[in-house]
Amino acid sequence: MIRKTRIKDFTKPGGQVAELDAADWMKLPAPYERADKPLRKLTDDQRKRMDATLDGVVAIGIAPPATPEEEKAFIDKFLAGVEKLFDAADNWTFLQPLFHTLEYCVKCQICSDACPAYVASGRQDIYRPTMRPELLRRIISTYVKKEHPLMRKFKASDIELNGQALIRLAELAYRCTLCRRCAQVCLLGCDNALVSREIRKIFSQQMGIAPKEVHEKGSAQQIKAGSSTGMTPPALADILEFTEEEIEEKTGKKIKIPVDKKGAEILLLHNAGEFLAWPENLEAFAILFDAAGIDWTLSSELVGYDAVNYGVWYDDVQFTRIALRHAQAAKNLGVKKISLGECGHAHKAMIVVADRVLTGNLNIPRESAIPLMEEIVMSGRIKLEPGRNNFPVTLHDPCNMVRLMGIVEPQRRILRKIAPQFREMTPHGVENYCCGGGSGFAIIQSNNFPDWRSSVSGRMKLKQTLEAFADKPSADVKKYVCAPCSNCKGQYRELFNYYDVWEKSGIFYGGLVELIVNAMADLRQPFIQWEWH
Amino acid sequence: MGTFLIVLTYIAYVFIVAVYAIKVRKWIKLPTHIRWDLYPVIHEEQYRYGGSYYEKPEWWMQPRPKNTGRSFWYALKDNFYMGEYFKRNPLYWLFLLPWHLGFIFIILFHITCFFAAAAMVGGVTISATSSQPGGQIVYGLLMVFAVIAFIGGTFGCIGMPVIRLVDRGLRSYAMPMNYFNYVFFLIVYASGLYSWLALDPTLAEYRMYWVGLITLTPPELNPGTIFHILLFDIFLIYLPFTRSTHYITRFLAYFKIRWDDEPNFRGSELEKKLNMLLEQKLSWDAPHMSKGKNWGEAAVSSGLPEPKKDNV
Repeated sequence: MIRKTRIKDFTKPGGQVAELDAADWMKLPAPYERADKPLRKLTDDQRKRMDATLDGVVAIGIAPPATPEEEKAFIDKFLAGVEKLFDAADNWTFLQPLFHTLEYCVKCQICSDACPAYVASGRQDIYRPTMRPELLRRIISTYVKKEHPLMRKFKASDIELNGQALIRLAELAYRCTLCRRCAQVCLLGCDNALVSREIRKIFSQQMGIAPKEVHEKGSAQQIKAGSSTGMTPPALADILEFTEEEIEEKTGKKIKIPVDKKGAEILLLHNAGEFLAWPENLEAFAILFDAAGIDWTLSSELVGYDAVNYGVWYDDVQFTRIALRHAQAAKNLGVKKISLGECGHAHKAMIVVADRVLTGNLNIPRESAIPLMEEIVMSGRIKLEPGRNNFPVTLHDPCNMVRLMGIVEPQRRILRKIAPQFREMTPHGVENYCCGGGSGFAIIQSNNFPDWRSSVSGRMKLKQTLEAFADKPSADVKKYVCAPCSNCKGQYRELFNYYDVWEKSGIFYGGLVELIVNAMADLRQPFIQWEWH
Repeated sequence: MGTFLIVLTYIAYVFIVAVYAIKVRKWIKLPTHIRWDLYPVIHEEQYRYGGSYYEKPEWWMQPRPKNTGRSFWYALKDNFYMGEYFKRNPLYWLFLLPWHLGFIFIILFHITCFFAAAAMVGGVTISATSSQPGGQIVYGLLMVFAVIAFIGGTFGCIGMPVIRLVDRGLRSYAMPMNYFNYVFFLIVYASGLYSWLALDPTLAEYRMYWVGLITLTPPELNPGTIFHILLFDIFLIYLPFTRSTHYITRFLAYFKIRWDDEPNFRGSELEKKLNMLLEQKLSWDAPHMSKGKNWGEAAVSSGLPEPKKDNV
């Protein structure tokens, strides 16, 4: 049963603020009505090492301060970070939108039902999009602006801070996928998702605290080793060699994947996840571009071969470092433009967000590969047989690419041409639901967070995916979710594994380019192998 | 009382305009931020489905037509309709819309009173039976504005606390200030409603009052009307202390954040601004932050810990 959570419960020391119970969660369609499992409980040892008193789930794993002195230092450091958030030098990047939201949100709750995590959780109060900004607002009123106690009573902006409350706040910032559906419905132009990101920023930029998959094994590893996967340039060379062999085996085509080709027209940036987890995406790009006669290259320069930029989720400086290195790799090759492969957050990061940190000769034109794919498909340059894709196909809209960038129709026009059984999810386009793995969730594998991600943040996406195929529920009919984003695919993989969707419903997932190549008339066998992985 | 009221009215108007101007200026003066657009962007060609110029190959070579008028109309009409609320929480909308219309129309009413009074000073008769068509139109507008403001505002002020107490989400975020506002604004609107219904059905006293303001000659008014004008002046002085500036800042947020899709081209004014912003120094404390360096220098650095030196 949902327990009401009051804002003051958040700072109460001791027990858990919210209890998650599968019985409360949004119902899934058949045959998944009883497919939920209780979230894994943390071990006693984990509970000693990490504070899990927000909702029993851990994404970051912050150790509780051991002494009152440590607690005070922890709080003081956080408060110093809050002040920097409002400093025009330290946070010029987001000061205006942050200020607007904190100052002008009227807490009308219209955004709550737009949030898939809140709705899927059975409407747990802690997941309301307004919860995080309200806590931050109260901290600012009480500890930064130090408003008069009577004024704080009048505005209900009082809060009594302790170390545990701050740890809960840090965790809570990682219960929002930054899909910004909440912002889309706000009539006042407020953006409560942004506040989640800004809270993450205080913890990262001021306190050095972030989920290890996002920072230490993510952006920091990318800067050090070249990729967040740890893939080094020699490993890249091995993988590309393997990819070329795979292409030849599948298609009979001998294709040399261009690497470090000076003066190429396009530098193609792939999420390194494709190299390791979904090489068929990489293969399909190579086949398509080769067939269409595109002048392209990959880079083997550190960072230049991995499009990911996790900084966009939690840290402006890390973000800028990686964007700069991507641009530098393109500049070193003298390419005409950078094209982003099927990775949503990399699209948003490199094409849109980086637009205001890349200046001078590092401001190299950047675009999505999807309009280029559309041009290839529609131009007739390659012969396509849509009948090869004669199975039910639906499209997932990656938030970063669609709601946050406005790339909506090119992928649909492609699918309408090459997939006879294409059908939309409801809702779709800019009103889509997040896959539930956004803002780093898809890569966080620690503790029991993956259970929460599948059960709660991904629940709405699972529901609407199943509903899109409601006319063909049998596992005998193979169905395809086209998810042109590496992180979204990662989330689909986890989600489908968690609920045995492949076994129960026969739903497979993959990218867009794979479907295009699957329809190519000169391929001797289908490109899509329907091998679950 | 008459002189006091006139002085208070002038102070109230100067105060609200000045404070709103300061608040808006503060908002606008905040530094240029990273792009954080959200679609649909209404000035875009393909706004109907939320498309952007990124849908075109080599978008930087293509024209990017912008329909600013459409954006402005889109933002403006929501002040009078609040469609998202109607769609998502109709019961709340039922009270919220009249509550907001109360604000908008009571201010419009008083502004129109000023223009009506100015016209009267110039010899125009403002009434339903005026021989001048302009006088009839202004009279009609005054009546419509006042009726919407007094009835809508009163209804909204009664309904809002009820819905706030009934709805779990609204209740948990309620603050004493909300309830104070409901009561205070209810008195403002209800006093206007009473004055109109019981004392001044043609609203002639307001026009006389505004003529007095313009000519600095306090008129003789019914105490009920004076009471409403007094409350309205206090209302104007109080408004800037609430979140009411959102009537204006929501436009700024739409145009300067949500729909700000202006690309940064080499050599542009925007690039010059960005270069200056990137020269600012960082003071964040985390070990990977390059504290003391500017943004550009920090971006070039790795932020990784220095390799440990071997003790020789």
